[in-house]
Amino acid sequence: MTVTTSGKAGVRAIGSPVRKADGPALLTGRGRFLDDYSLPGTRHAVVVRSELAHARIVDVDVRAAAASPGVVLVLTGEEAAAHAGPIPHFIEPAARGGRHADVRCLATGKVVYAGEPVAAVVAGTRREAEAAAALVRVEYERLPHVLDADAALEQDAPRLYEEWPDNVILHNHYGTGDVDAALAGADLVVSDTIRISRTTTAPIEPRGYLASWDDLDGTLTVYGSLQNPHQLRWMLATSLGLDETAIRVITARVGGSFGLKMQGHPEETLVCLLSKLTGAPVKWIEDRRECFMAGAREQVHRFTIGAMRDGRIVAVRDRIVANTGAVSAQAGWAMPNMSATTLASGYTVPNVRAELHVVVTNKPPLNAARGFGKDSAHFVMERMVDLVARGLGADPAEVRRKNFIPPDRFPYRTATGLNIDSGDYPGLLDKALRVLDYDALRLRQAELRAAGRHLGIGLAFELTPESADGPGSFVSGFDVTTVRMTMTGGVTVYTGVTSPGGGNDTGIAQIVSDELGVPLSWITVVQGDTERCPSGFGNFSGRSMVVGGGSAALAARDVRAKLAVVGARMLDVPVDEVKVADGRLRATGDGRSVPVPEVAAAVLTRAFAIANDVEPVLEATRAYKPGNIDHVPDERGRIQPYPTYSNCLHAAVVEVDPETGVTKLVDFVMAHDCGVIINPALVEGQAHGAIVMGLGAALSERLTYDADGRLTSDRFKTYLMPRAGDLPTIRLEHQVTPSPFTMYGNKGAGEAGVGGAQAAVANAVEDALAPFGVTVREVPLSPPAVLALIDEARTR
Amino acid sequence: MNRIRLVVNGREREIEVEACKLLVHAVREDVGLTGTHVGCLTGDCGACTVLVDGASVKSCSVLAVQADGAEITTIEGVAGDDELHPVQRAFWDEFGFQCGYCLPGMLLTARELLDRMPDPDDDAIVQAINGNLCRCTGYGSILRSIRCAATRMAASGEPAEEAS
Ligand code: FES
Ligand code: FES
Repeated sequence: MTVTTSGKAGVRAIGSPVRKADGPALLTGRGRFLDDYSLPGTRHAVVVRSELAHARIVDVDVRAAAASPGVVLVLTGEEAAAHAGPIPHFIEPAARGGRHADVRCLATGKVVYAGEPVAAVVAGTRREAEAAAALVRVEYERLPHVLDADAALEQDAPRLYEEWPDNVILHNHYGTGDVDAALAGADLVVSDTIRISRTTTAPIEPRGYLASWDDLDGTLTVYGSLQNPHQLRWMLATSLGLDETAIRVITARVGGSFGLKMQGHPEETLVCLLSKLTGAPVKWIEDRRECFMAGAREQVHRFTIGAMRDGRIVAVRDRIVANTGAVSAQAGWAMPNMSATTLASGYTVPNVRAELHVVVTNKPPLNAARGFGKDSAHFVMERMVDLVARGLGADPAEVRRKNFIPPDRFPYRTATGLNIDSGDYPGLLDKALRVLDYDALRLRQAELRAAGRHLGIGLAFELTPESADGPGSFVSGFDVTTVRMTMTGGVTVYTGVTSPGGGNDTGIAQIVSDELGVPLSWITVVQGDTERCPSGFGNFSGRSMVVGGGSAALAARDVRAKLAVVGARMLDVPVDEVKVADGRLRATGDGRSVPVPEVAAAVLTRAFAIANDVEPVLEATRAYKPGNIDHVPDERGRIQPYPTYSNCLHAAVVEVDPETGVTKLVDFVMAHDCGVIINPALVEGQAHGAIVMGLGAALSERLTYDADGRLTSDRFKTYLMPRAGDLPTIRLEHQVTPSPFTMYGNKGAGEAGVGGAQAAVANAVEDALAPFGVTVREVPLSPPAVLALIDEARTR
Repeated sequence: MNRIRLVVNGREREIEVEACKLLVHAVREDVGLTGTHVGCLTGDCGACTVLVDGASVKSCSVLAVQADGAEITTIEGVAGDDELHPVQRAFWDEFGFQCGYCLPGMLLTARELLDRMPDPDDDAIVQAINGNLCRCTGYGSILRSIRCAATRMAASGEPAEEAS
């Protein structure tokens, strides 16, 4: 890949693979992650966690712990409750027709999952805190627990929240059309059950917070490895009873997040409270075992799909039971909503009905995760399409083509109410098949099969609605950016969006460079600080370039307009006869020019002369709201929370060894369309990361628990994430179908891959094992799972 | 407390550590270089990788006292005085990192590989970094970065050692 040097004259930054702005810092070990911060007098916290999945807390005896060397405070749930209220939900379930449960930073009364925080220890060193934490004695009265969502739906299941009539946090129906009639008239009807195991995001840097309470002026400063500083500030203000203006939240450099580090975790409030109570800065760093508690997805789908002989899919019915674990204030419980509303994906299925039960169990809570439920929808939908193809004896590629929304029918309203902006799905399929050399590969598959080898080809389409706006929540579909120019022409961009590592700061600088007309090297982007950045909403839903980029463009244009007025006077030409580019303001007529820093200086130092009647502020703050979001329910009660829909087509080629059950990834192709691309290298990086996360979920990743609900996959040796040697070279193809509803026609990148890669691999494994007649109903397809599939097919 | 001597990135350091202190914590807390990261403390992720006498070591799996007298290279010591090492430049040019948390491990592992084997084939590169987890990149760009560094160093005749 060629690299654009910063600020090369005449090169448009937008569309170029500009290197990451944080390269020099990170490459030399100067990136400051949370654990690299230290304030004078910092103390260290360790959380004592429940060992039982469901129990009443009878007594917490902290005497031995409090007497342990170095300990300054041991805090119990009862004591914490005297100082801090419940943590407000990121997305309040009650506001969405669901049920509310209070969540506190330390459990009071009872625990509802193994791993729930019950006490905290603060000591001079982490080791002292750990030693003391082991001395905290908690007496429990065991209660019956339930780990499985179907079991939790039973009438007589143990109840997590006594005030609820059952264990359902949300029950809802989605979709339109007459599914029963359509199924009755279908030539082919397939019903089956698909299970998606619990996985997790597992960034290499776990979470962590450093809080510092200032007793003299009553203010709180919080450093954190987090994605959403402004939302966290609001949350802390609410739980701690402080004024928002007394709190400053600063995002450290983040070592990956993938949704995990959105706010709503008990330790956020806890660490701040510990600092307040001890009068010292307090740091808490999550350990790997704790990090593995956060779930990303766990669902069961019982579906029926109907199709006509020509391949047209006429109806989908799906009953989804999602296991969200115990209630947390994080956004995890809301993800299965998107699993339901994203069904039937990019296909013109007129009749769709999904019934969703989001069920609480005594597992640890789900946390927001890359894909946000959309991944599961695609896994199931793409399995369904393959089962239709199999039932009809048709080519899975052609069944997809037959059902894709045609390119001339956008914007297209789906049966569940999504208004898809634009796309060319058959175009993606063509690209992927071409790169794969599909027909030749099918021949090769037949040859190998004749020779007793099991090659499989799996396709999967994936639609990723991006840049969400949830009405009445801090899931916002817009964002805000300030562009500020100094007297010497230096530019600082303060934006409400944050970057957990993907590099949107570089993309935003590229946009400002082009819009303002100054070299990239003049631009610094500041993110993740509630004191310095405008009120914004951070990182989620592939939104950063759509709304962070859009607002940065608007602000940059405002500053440029002011430069143009004064610069034109300096060159003595009309304002519409100047251009700003490469750091100079140029008269379009005769080419005379003046450097931007001289114009900036004139605006700020000649306010009563040449810059007279120009407001002398070289700064603008703008919000950008993309189109296509509509929160007014239509005649069927559906709302449209997304401006734009990225999409892609995955193709996996695997070889399965039926003797060992080992699936080898032979090839992987993704044809991807996220509209106009601001920085192709950053987009590709996102896509590769998401695909590999999906491949992990497809083949090896699974959170496991013992019968008592204790996590057993608590380290990288038992939770198997892909390593370099597990993967083929992943090949990416781009297609650009601009969105009509965003500033540059860009659609958002970062989530596409998680669901599609799982589906493509599952379809490929089933295809590879077609001679045995297996049906893949579950991921991960670990070797024992594959052997069980073959056994089951043989004994049938 | 035990007094130990380390040569860290060419500078001699004497520190006092408890016998049970891990090398990674000694480097971060006592030597004060925070570029070496902790991702698991179970020897699985590689974010804590440093070179001990030229060999890559997961510094969470070694006690500080075991390294007494050793020469240690951390990510802070990979670059020359004013210039990035070719491996660093290749990782920048080829987008070999996103969040950068795994980067100390990837860079030092690559550095060690190229010291040992200036022209590694793909299998050798994959084998070298197979003990290092990255959750962001999907590894493709990391492999590309190491290949690129090898090619450039071969072309310029630049020995990998030089910048240490
Ligand atoms: S921290 Fe040492 S290998 Fe993960
Ligand atoms: S770049 Fe984030 S873990 Fe490797």
